[in-house]
Amino acid sequence: MLTLSSRSVESRNLSDSPARIVMRVSDRQDRPRALRSREAFLVTNGDIPDGFGIYVALAKDAKALGSLPSQTKAMILPDDFSYLADGDVLRLWTKSNEVRVLYRRASFHNHFLLTERCNHYCLMCSQPPKNIDDSWIVDDVLAAIPLIDPSAQEIGFTGGEPTLLGDDLFRILRTMKSYLPHTAIHILSNGRLFADPEFAKRYADIRHFDMMVGIPIYSDVSTIHDYVVQADGAFDETIRGILNLKRYGQKVEIRIVVHGQTYARLPQLAEFIARNLTFVDHVTFMGLEITGFTRANLDSLWIDPADYQRELYRAVSFLADSQMHVSIYNHQLCVLDRRLWPFARKSISDWKNEYMPECEGCREKENCGGFFASAKIRYSDHIHPIAEVAAP
Amino acid sequence: MSKFQPLSAYQQPLADGYQLLPFRFTSLNDSEYVLTNQASEFIVLERQTLEAVVRHQLPATDRLYDDLKSKHFIIDGDSSVATELLALKVRTKLKRLADFTGLHIFVVSLRCEHSCPYCQVSRQSDDRLAFDMSVETAEKSLALVFRSPSPGIKIEFQGGEPLLNFPLIRHVVERAEALNLAQRRDLQFVIATNLAVINDEMLDFCGEHNILISTSLDGPADLHNANRPRPGHDSYERAIEGISKVRGALGRDRVSALMTTTKLSLGRVRDIVDEYVAQGFRGIFLRPMSPYGFAVKTKWFKAYDADEWLEFYFAGLDYILALNRSGYPFTEFYAATILAKMLTPFEPGFVDLRSPAGTGIAAIVYNYDGDVYASDESRMLAEMGDKTFRIGNVHQDRYEDIILSDALLGPIEESFAASVPMCSDCAFEPFCGADPVFHHATQGDFVGRKPLSAFCERNMAIFRRLITLMRDDAEVRGIFVRWANARC
Amino acid sequence: MSRTLVFSSQVYSVETIKKAAYRFSDVLSVDIVPRPGEIECVLQFLSGSKEEEQAERIAAAFKNEVLDQDLRSIISKETEATRNAVLAFALSKTGLQGSE
Repeated sequence: MLTLSSRSVESRNLSDSPARIVMRVSDRQDRPRALRSREAFLVTNGDIPDGFGIYVALAKDAKALGSLPSQTKAMILPDDFSYLADGDVLRLWTKSNEVRVLYRRASFHNHFLLTERCNHYCLMCSQPPKNIDDSWIVDDVLAAIPLIDPSAQEIGFTGGEPTLLGDDLFRILRTMKSYLPHTAIHILSNGRLFADPEFAKRYADIRHFDMMVGIPIYSDVSTIHDYVVQADGAFDETIRGILNLKRYGQKVEIRIVVHGQTYARLPQLAEFIARNLTFVDHVTFMGLEITGFTRANLDSLWIDPADYQRELYRAVSFLADSQMHVSIYNHQLCVLDRRLWPFARKSISDWKNEYMPECEGCREKENCGGFFASAKIRYSDHIHPIAEVAAP
Repeated sequence: MSKFQPLSAYQQPLADGYQLLPFRFTSLNDSEYVLTNQASEFIVLERQTLEAVVRHQLPATDRLYDDLKSKHFIIDGDSSVATELLALKVRTKLKRLADFTGLHIFVVSLRCEHSCPYCQVSRQSDDRLAFDMSVETAEKSLALVFRSPSPGIKIEFQGGEPLLNFPLIRHVVERAEALNLAQRRDLQFVIATNLAVINDEMLDFCGEHNILISTSLDGPADLHNANRPRPGHDSYERAIEGISKVRGALGRDRVSALMTTTKLSLGRVRDIVDEYVAQGFRGIFLRPMSPYGFAVKTKWFKAYDADEWLEFYFAGLDYILALNRSGYPFTEFYAATILAKMLTPFEPGFVDLRSPAGTGIAAIVYNYDGDVYASDESRMLAEMGDKTFRIGNVHQDRYEDIILSDALLGPIEESFAASVPMCSDCAFEPFCGADPVFHHATQGDFVGRKPLSAFCERNMAIFRRLITLMRDDAEVRGIFVRWANARC
Repeated sequence: MSRTLVFSSQVYSVETIKKAAYRFSDVLSVDIVPRPGEIECVLQFLSGSKEEEQAERIAAAFKNEVLDQDLRSIISKETEATRNAVLAFALSKTGLQGSE
């Protein structure tokens, strides 16, 4: 699990600086001079080029900063940030000495949390909603996008509920299109605001080359879905949102978290999707993350994944046989029905994944996504090392 | 303090009861019924449950309540999106209607060197003038073909033996491609041939123009040759050799085979399937017996023949399922067509299982002499003296005259299954079709009295069998879902 | 050989009985005689010499079919409006933006 933010930053000579600084990190000795003043140089043991706006060092390398002029603007980060590399983007709050890494060039799973506000209250929410004004996040993101490497393959937008940003969301998406025209976008949303055709049309009018909304549906039964997301009327609005998105030719993915309240009707949900929402671009079945609200509701949510393989197989195979595109995320290979392995993806963000003691000696580690760090609290009783690499 | 509401908090509107959504029901067996809705979804219920549902007495706690709601047989106050979804599904099913005629059959010659007893049309003759389609007729026919709005146009050459008039095939293909440069339809060609006279020049042409071959294979050699006599008694050997040649020249899957079921076929279904497996085909269409030869001589195409065929069919289906279970994917195409209607949101578009009837709407036949027919069976009837389904002539009639003729529209309208007795409240209607030609030939009117209809009896037996097989066996269900969704 | 069944016209309509009769027209013909308060049906078995037991079974099936037709007419009345609304929406162009 990587540390992405910290309040234990030591800063030097930043008291007169703006309250918020968003900068690209560089470790190149030969970085063009014209760019240096707005970038942060990552100091290690070698020569330190001059002209950079800020000099950043890990605690263990802090001594190297001593060779710089005394008025040099600098920042010392805890050693947890040792992954920091050229091309990363970070944001510093100078008044409180808080730093957050907004983007890591080396990662395949960069995403921006756009708000913690939400119009749902899901039993298993991994990012519990806060009813606060966090519109400053939009400013962070708009400042960071131009600094992101244009070779980035995909950026995710999450929350809370991103569509609550309204026009600000569209501003962000248009900024993405302008500065990162070859970068795909993946938005996690409950889709409800797209039930307003006007809203869906404005989204479509961005005319982005590759934008997908990932929308959860937890049951084919409206009452169960509404219960899981703790919002009356959610099922109908979500479906209408999906229909509108599709009317405007937008990509939609349906995401289903498999847990105690959703596993029993998984096959029926698969049929419902294949008959009613046959045009969606992707269907994903996700493992439960034991974080946020999940812990409060663990009794009703926990089921050992080994115990729902029958339902999962029936659901996945029906969708796949119906020629739909299906994936399974966040499930360990040893508890997955073997016939489902072709659908399993290594999906846990690289800053979140870990392995358990029971994984010792497993030959499928490379292919398996492992666990969320939070899984330590509760995970399958059936984790075991796989002795032979599976035949294709 | 719990901030979370229990499930019951979201179930309040259920206390007000539920409404029925439109559905039909028909018996599946002695105790159970099949219910279907306008989107061809189905569910099986016991009779008491059905009655409870209709009388608004099914409790929301019944395990079937949720299934009925999610499949759109009932609706309650908690969710209203069902009607929009239903309408969208119906729209998807009806989409093929708007596409209109996709299959255009050109009968380029009646001449044939086979003399199959079940064939109504061929002439053993060398008289090209009398029995070959002329260039002029072909030109007029092509003009009509492209009047169809269908985005996909399939031109199928039939006969007699169409390859005996190969120059005309060449002309039609080249002309159609030229016309299509501006039209940009998805244009496909098929030649239905016994392969006895195919040569390298023809194969080269087929390769250049991506033409598919459809041939006849009735079963193993003895059966095939008994069904399909020709001078030399080697129809089977020529067919096999032809198939091999075509595969070599055009590709493995560029040739398909169709069987004709005769009295001789009954009792041999496993041999027939084995033959198809041996010849490397990926599936077989176990066809019903044609009534047209009989109908002229006997007034009714009677049930006992239908029963024998059903026995043949079910034995074949069982055998094919066993092949699939053993790991060998092999499809029965008639079942697959029905299963596509049952298990997918789409309409497979098979001409003989459409309501409104596929005559004209799905397929049209341009005969060698310029006469236009609503279907291939219509043409066969005409050869036997009954021109009821002749809808015009390419030399005399415009497209509008043909498509709007009473001869075409009358049978479609009268036989429309949603309107006719018994079909209109049959739960199987979404899986079935209207076959005005069949009923005209066997009962003398476009609708037929369904209790007496072999078409009805056959299809209902198959629907019941498929539903029962799926219900009892998850593996079969998986096989059926794959058949239903296979894109040809 | 024939059988006579009597149905209450409070419960069943002639239409319902006619539809049931149609389904059985391959094995029997029905004379339908409405009277005050009741509908009499004389079932004539077609193939001549049906055994008593068969006739009993077929008559029972006929009665069930009448029940079924009655259920169908309830469904039909209740759902007519929705059926038409669904078809109207399905065949309309509204709700379709751009291409299908």
